[in-house]
Amino acid sequence: MAPQDISKLIVRTSMKDRAAFDLLYRQTSAKLFGVCLRVLNDRGDAEEALQEVFVKIWTKADRFAVSDLSPISWLVAIARNHAIDRIRARRVPAAHIDAALDVADPAPGPEAMVVAGGESERIYHCLDELEKDRAAAVRGAYLNGESYAELAERHRVPLNTMRTWLRRSLLKLRECLER
Amino acid sequence: MTLAEDNGPERGGDDLFAAEYVLGVLATDERQIAARRIDTEAGFARLVDSWEVHFSPMAAAYPEIEPPASLKPAVDRRLFASSSTATQPSAGLWSSLGFWRGLAAAAVAALAIYVAVPYLNPPVVAPQERLVASLAADGSDVKYLVVYDAARRDVGLSLVSGERAAGKDFELWMIEGKNAPVSMGVIPAGQTTHLAVTPAVQQKLAQGAVLAVSVEPTGGSPTGQPTGPVVAAGDLKGI
Repeated sequence: MAPQDISKLIVRTSMKDRAAFDLLYRQTSAKLFGVCLRVLNDRGDAEEALQEVFVKIWTKADRFAVSDLSPISWLVAIARNHAIDRIRARRVPAAHIDAALDVADPAPGPEAMVVAGGESERIYHCLDELEKDRAAAVRGAYLNGESYAELAERHRVPLNTMRTWLRRSLLKLRECLER
Repeated sequence: MTLAEDNGPERGGDDLFAAEYVLGVLATDERQIAARRIDTEAGFARLVDSWEVHFSPMAAAYPEIEPPASLKPAVDRRLFASSSTATQPSAGLWSSLGFWRGLAAAAVAALAIYVAVPYLNPPVVAPQERLVASLAADGSDVKYLVVYDAARRDVGLSLVSGERAAGKDFELWMIEGKNAPVSMGVIPAGQTTHLAVTPAVQQKLAQGAVLAVSVEPTGGSPTGQPTGPVVAAGDLKGI
């Protein structure tokens, strides 16, 4: 479905149009479920989270108008942030890391993703300018919703070192993205 | 020491905090601070949005996984339980007192409409579709979402952001082709408001017409034409 069609469905949902909301669910729930599962790494939890995500979409659809995100990215951001809030409230840092690592990378490599084109090349190009393990930390944090504490554990560095690392990476990314 | 504290005052600290929020590395309490700021500070919300835009291509790596079929009905139950017209009413629904009360109320309302409609609603000439417009302008934080319901001659306005200054009102205008703007009335204050559409305006209000919001003295333009700056505009589109 074309982005402008998803946009229309979101706008109609903000007007409390249930038919549009049903269609929006049909078109996007698989992607958003993929997001919840990846972050939460637990089916039951992800199902619960997805319900809450669509409740949010119904109630907050009017905010789409003020975002610069594409419609699907806007929906993904809601799902990701919700799943991360949920796991932050639940996760005991050390216990889940191995489990999370096991499923950590069904992701296509950067080359494959670059094929997605245009705008997306930019972030990958900028990630490539970082040292390899730092780019991996950024990507891992984004896709899995890992906290500073978890990243520190995984990369075997002290928490504050991790924080400094990542912030420097973010500053470099910003500098590259704005170039 | 939270990130908000050790980052706050320094230049660019907010931007870094926004990036950390989007990336997802913050702890619960820090995320709550960020979420509150997104709701209350437009500037911070924009920083967050722009990092979401930067990082969003990475989301291509999330696979699509079909959720179980039972999930959507569960969402609907959460959202619409009280007025549910679910496709498969459960025993629980049929035996629910609330459901029967709702049904009785609906029946009364339907009867009232049935009785009243011939008087309230002279036959509509052409049942047009609903049209929507998103009104915004550069250099202004005033944003409205507009839904025009031709059959009901109603314009619904949802204020997304911005507010009117003291002693000022927002007035809604319709601009059709190269004609002078036609006032549709002063927009009542509030998040969600409605304006009735006069038959004269209704005849011209169609897809492609431009709607605009101007700042006027309280009570509306004294001249019948916009006198203040246009703070939001957009064209009507079919949905």
